Amino acid sequence: MNKEIVKALYKKEITDILRDKKTILMMIVVPLVLYPLIFLGSFLLASSMATASTHNTYRIGFDNIENSAELSAFFNRVGAEYEYDFAYITPDLENSDWETALAEETVHAYLSATEEDGVVHYEIVYISSVADSATAASMLEDMLKEYREELRKNNLAANDLDENIFLYPITYEYEDRASNEETVGSLFGAILPFLLISSVLMGAMYPAIDITAGEKERGTLETLLTLPVKNMELITAKFLATSTIATAAAFLNVLSMGAMGAFFYGSITAGSETAVEFNVWSYLPAVGIMLLCAIVFAMFSSAVCLCVCIFAKSFKEAQNYTTPIMLVFMFAGMAGMIPGVALNEVTAFIPVVNISILITNLFQFKFETGMISLVLFTNIAYSILAVWFMTKIFDCEDILFGDGSMNIRLIEKRSDMKEKQLPGIGDVLLLFSVLLLVLLMLGSVLILKWGLWGLVAEQAIILFCTLFYAWYIKADFKRLFQAHRVNVLHLLFAVIVWAGTYLLMMVLSAILATFFPESAEAADSISAMLENAPIWLIVFAMAFMPALCEEFAFRGFLFGTLKEKYRIPVAILWTGIIFGLFHMNLIKFFAVGLLGAVLAYTAYRSKSIWTCVMIHFVNNLSACLLTVYGSWFENHLPVLFSEQIGVAALLGLLLAGILLILFGFFLMKKVGGEKTAEREAKTGI
Amino acid sequence: MIKSEGLSKIFVKKISEEEKKKEKKKRTSREFYAVNHVDLQANSGEILGILGPNGAGKTTLLRMMGNLMQPTEGNVIITDQDGTAVLDMVERKKRVGYLSGNTKLYHRFSVREMLFMLGEIYGLTKEETSNRAEEIIRILSMEEFADNRIEVLSTGQTQRANIARCLIHEPEIYIFDEPTLGLDIISSDAILQFMKQEKERGKTILYSTHYMEEAQYLCDRIVMLYEGSVIADDTPKHLMEQTGTDNLRDTFHVLVASKTKEEEAAHE
Repeated sequence: MNKEIVKALYKKEITDILRDKKTILMMIVVPLVLYPLIFLGSFLLASSMATASTHNTYRIGFDNIENSAELSAFFNRVGAEYEYDFAYITPDLENSDWETALAEETVHAYLSATEEDGVVHYEIVYISSVADSATAASMLEDMLKEYREELRKNNLAANDLDENIFLYPITYEYEDRASNEETVGSLFGAILPFLLISSVLMGAMYPAIDITAGEKERGTLETLLTLPVKNMELITAKFLATSTIATAAAFLNVLSMGAMGAFFYGSITAGSETAVEFNVWSYLPAVGIMLLCAIVFAMFSSAVCLCVCIFAKSFKEAQNYTTPIMLVFMFAGMAGMIPGVALNEVTAFIPVVNISILITNLFQFKFETGMISLVLFTNIAYSILAVWFMTKIFDCEDILFGDGSMNIRLIEKRSDMKEKQLPGIGDVLLLFSVLLLVLLMLGSVLILKWGLWGLVAEQAIILFCTLFYAWYIKADFKRLFQAHRVNVLHLLFAVIVWAGTYLLMMVLSAILATFFPESAEAADSISAMLENAPIWLIVFAMAFMPALCEEFAFRGFLFGTLKEKYRIPVAILWTGIIFGLFHMNLIKFFAVGLLGAVLAYTAYRSKSIWTCVMIHFVNNLSACLLTVYGSWFENHLPVLFSEQIGVAALLGLLLAGILLILFGFFLMKKVGGEKTAEREAKTGI
Repeated sequence: MIKSEGLSKIFVKKISEEEKKKEKKKRTSREFYAVNHVDLQANSGEILGILGPNGAGKTTLLRMMGNLMQPTEGNVIITDQDGTAVLDMVERKKRVGYLSGNTKLYHRFSVREMLFMLGEIYGLTKEETSNRAEEIIRILSMEEFADNRIEVLSTGQTQRANIARCLIHEPEIYIFDEPTLGLDIISSDAILQFMKQEKERGKTILYSTHYMEEAQYLCDRIVMLYEGSVIADDTPKHLMEQTGTDNLRDTFHVLVASKTKEEEAAHE
């Protein structure tokens, strides 16, 4: 790589980016003008609302209250402590329709009382959606509490009892040992990661789009290719330029926010004596490392954005591709705020999440040198990987010169769409990003709430999204999902294939178990859910629904699209990888990935999705039965549960598994081939 | 000198639904030769014209000759004045000035800025770049708009700026893909004039066009391309004599007709 050339190209990219009005707008105008304006606006609004609410007179009514005079006298005495003014409306026989009065805001809230066994029960009637009414109601509650307190004291005094023994047998208070720096720091730690991550991403996105898709759109890409430069130099220059802009944007954003923060801190402390004293300089190390994080994260974001945008033909298309990235980044950026999420050997490798947690930790004065360097290193490593990937893409003429098979069809109007089309790679990316988000955010909530029925709902959502997407783009359902009538014999062969796959998965799990021994315990939460459920529900939720829904999504939409765009082995490999990744478990990744790949091959071989559904169902069913009737199996088939399997046995299982799979596919090919040929001959296709 | 040996490019083409019904095949795509075993050679001091209809493979051929695209089969050979072959990709690109309808310029730069930026990338010193840039601006009479951003230039001015781009590194070989397409008479004449001058300075020029008259007037030799294959390679004069026509337009029609006849005969 020639440094001089990279420098020259870098200079060109930076000049090009900086002369683009959109970038300047995103980079300078938004942080330096828009944020302060928004801050100032909301500050003014908040303070004017605060002034307005203190200077309001709240009209409170008494509906049918015997001791209203006593109560209002008490309220007036207590109410003087509050900053609010009250006006009491006594019952007016002419106008006793309290509901109307409340709705017309002639009263803001009113009390009504009922008495039962000597206890007076007050009802505070208000309208929570009306701000004044809500304030009045909460004030009423506070005053009623004080009234109750006074009555108690009076009662005790009347009976010559000591109020301390009866009312306050114990007392307590808070004593916060966190220094002011730590308190403020944890606040910073909650806000800053999200702020930094979103501003870096915003800063990286526009230049990334501009110098990849923009270059294609403006037709300068071919010019670039005539230059005597290597792909590596070209990509490095683009990567460095985007990173520079992203870093600069992040610094500007943080500076702007910092200035705003300082301004408000100043304006708040100026007026009050209870100002928190703290030493600003104690954050210096945290800020220093955070800036370092900003730089490596800018590199990472730039690399990701470039990688995605390089596939787009136009600015608009690139923007569509970056939207899912933005959602994922924002979501992951909030990881630091989730209680219980800590930086460890696993989370340090998850991009975005690691930066988010690290910054949160920094401002809580938790400095772990090992973790800090691991996070920085991980981000740099991912960036280098992405840059390398991009140079490979730049060798790919289809992407540079082609018309692109990457289209997202969903964006077009449905009426403009062609009948019987197939989704593009962009569609696959979009659908599966959405599905991933649904699983991450909605899935766990559903399962927590409804247990097995939540699982059913989650699977149903997957199926619905997939089918809706396919319907919306008017996909060729027959070709995409291969939902043909199935050859009954194939279902039988599918079981053979599954048996082989199961053996291979066992071998894989056994090998992985030696590397990650703790992982076996992770399944406990699921088995707890199964304990009291009827067996039919378990089978329905854990075997039938996943088999149906996941097959339509993965072997239907995903594999159905990939197999048209790539060679079959590549399509199968990707289907396996994505299927594995979707189960979000590093340990299970290989076994599930393998299952995914075998299922994809089954779809290709048997030309029917139902064969895949069959295998998937049998696989999940066996897992269900093993969990539910675990003890029975443990007694009768101890092989399945032995912790340590010998190398010889492993090899035996491996061989048996491969042979079974091959045999199953062989049968499918023999029988299926004839049938398909017959069918084709009959229909004359 | 630039030469191609058995140069081929295979593309994958999607088969339309109608074709699929006709062919009774389940495949959705098929491979075809966009450029089919082309041998040609352009020597220094020579203008070699590549003629052919749309889709004949001219652009793909020139992209491969200019090292923008990898050939599926065959080689492109570029030699220096002393006859040594240049093998390194970066060095090869330095020998070639490539211009096509798809090589657009960076809109946000002025012509002069662009030339300086390119000089840096081609590894020229500041002084060399400066001298060369001023010379080019003078030759192509771009003094008036050399400091304007390219986005505000007219079509003719932009095309001149584009030629300036190819000149900055003084290449031995020019590859021009339809350089006069869409230009008015004055602009296109200036470009043709420029090619003639460069030819006289001993440069090699490979140039494709739709305009038969232009080629007839300009080219020393002509290669006719039809469906990816060479159907003729000779001087314009010889070609017309062989086919008994008095212009290249008719020559082309005669050649295509005889080619189709040959193919039909081969089929039977």
